[in-house]
Amino acid sequence: MTNPPRELSPSTEGELYTLNMGPQHPSMHGVLRLVLQLRGEQIVNAKPVIGYSHRAHEKMAENRSALQFLPNSSRIDYLSGMIYNLGYCQAVEKILQIEVPDRAVHIRIIAAELNRISSHLLWFGTFLLDLGGITPFLYSFDDREQILDILDSVTGSRLTYCYGRFGGVTRDVDDEFLERSTAFIKLLRTRLLMYKRLVTDNVILRERCIGVGVISKDTAFRFDVTGPSLRASGVAYDVRKAEPYGGYDRFDFEVPTEEDGDTMSRFHVRIREIEQSCRLIEQAIASMPEGDILPKKMPKRFQIPKGEFYFACESARGHFGIYMVGDGSDIPFKMKLRTPSFSNLSAMPETLRGTMLADTIAIVGGIDIVMPEIDR
Amino acid sequence: MSVDLPTRIDELSTASEECAYEKVGFHQRHTIDASVLIDLARAFFEAGYVLEMITCQDLRAETQKMLLVYSFNRLESVDRQLLHLAIDPDTEQAPTLSMIYSGANWFEREVYDMYGVRFSDHPELERILLPEDADFFALRKDFGRMDEASAGGDEAEEGDDD
Repeated sequence: MTNPPRELSPSTEGELYTLNMGPQHPSMHGVLRLVLQLRGEQIVNAKPVIGYSHRAHEKMAENRSALQFLPNSSRIDYLSGMIYNLGYCQAVEKILQIEVPDRAVHIRIIAAELNRISSHLLWFGTFLLDLGGITPFLYSFDDREQILDILDSVTGSRLTYCYGRFGGVTRDVDDEFLERSTAFIKLLRTRLLMYKRLVTDNVILRERCIGVGVISKDTAFRFDVTGPSLRASGVAYDVRKAEPYGGYDRFDFEVPTEEDGDTMSRFHVRIREIEQSCRLIEQAIASMPEGDILPKKMPKRFQIPKGEFYFACESARGHFGIYMVGDGSDIPFKMKLRTPSFSNLSAMPETLRGTMLADTIAIVGGIDIVMPEIDR
Repeated sequence: MSVDLPTRIDELSTASEECAYEKVGFHQRHTIDASVLIDLARAFFEAGYVLEMITCQDLRAETQKMLLVYSFNRLESVDRQLLHLAIDPDTEQAPTLSMIYSGANWFEREVYDMYGVRFSDHPELERILLPEDADFFALRKDFGRMDEASAGGDEAEEGDDD
């Protein structure tokens, strides 16, 4: 399948005018403001204005011990909080060379992949809602609610999880959790078939997405766009494969890619990623070992050694990197959170240039940004 | 490409260090001067490396300088290379990389926003996360701590805003 990018002849007639989209726009995800320069309905220039939900996570990290920062981690991105929470734990474990027991590795993969599915399902629902389709939103939130219930039963929270601990997880999972997860995966597979008939093959959706908002390989490379948005441009980069962490190399999964780089490709990539996450969860459940969920021997204090460290993990939106500098005390000297949506959004001015105003929602919605993650 | 990347890095960097990737998460670290940054970035670009992030460390207490940290990585097979560039924020500017790596535009704006390091020839060096009229650089060590205001007795500020 090849979808040629839609060519629009640049309009040169009429005068330029400025339109503010957001930060309180119903179809803008969170508090993103786009200052659009328009000629007619064509975008001449787009400037994202961000920072409305800046909470100084990086400053907080320099003022509290690594352990005290743990609850902050899932607040960076509240839609895939589990991945950020576990990612932060994995970063500290890597720095302090803490070995994670096998059972905890499996539990983490199940929790993280359930979270990834819930994030993609939320995107699926809200993206289609933005495009004017209300029905899929109701179905996908029904599915997502089940994930939240399953994770709630073991973590005690619905969104901002603090389930990871340095070395493992807080609570063991029981058979009921595993059975519910298995049953959910089975249900989700039938739902995905329904979504294909209801949504993916829908002519209105295809008309609005095919050839719209093309991010070329070159653009993605220059802005370091990562995650599904990069894979939709034909680059099979996934941190779980490129730099295996947290036991992902023990399981069999694929990295779905599409070639066209348009909004439709990004849609396909996310749906196919849900299927891969299902496979990962099934494998992790099938081979779930018995044993501890935290290491037997743990350091009493988590002192970050002198030096600098980098840890990367794959969030639902792309490459999440933690760059930490230690000075030998409990408190990190410096922590930089390299969040995927920040880089993905920075590619938007170039992507939006020359497109129609009405496509803005499809394009910006299509890259799946989460503002608190950008603003940190 | 006339010269391969490792040779080019050797030519341009002041000092290079092999690092244990399993422990620290990157392969090599290079200390460089501001004058070679653009040439080096171009070499990375031509060799197919992406610019993952630019950040900064406030080392003014020890060295009177800000330490800019650039992280380059290859997508096909991981090879993370860190660049260290020390800059005196009051008297010097670092060259911008935004004409090579477009993503550097926002990274550099963030470093300026938080540390007050300026980048020469940057197309729009403005605040990005903090308010436009802010008169401080929040991640500088002398800006203070997050909890100092509450230590002064204002109980209301102790709650987390998340």
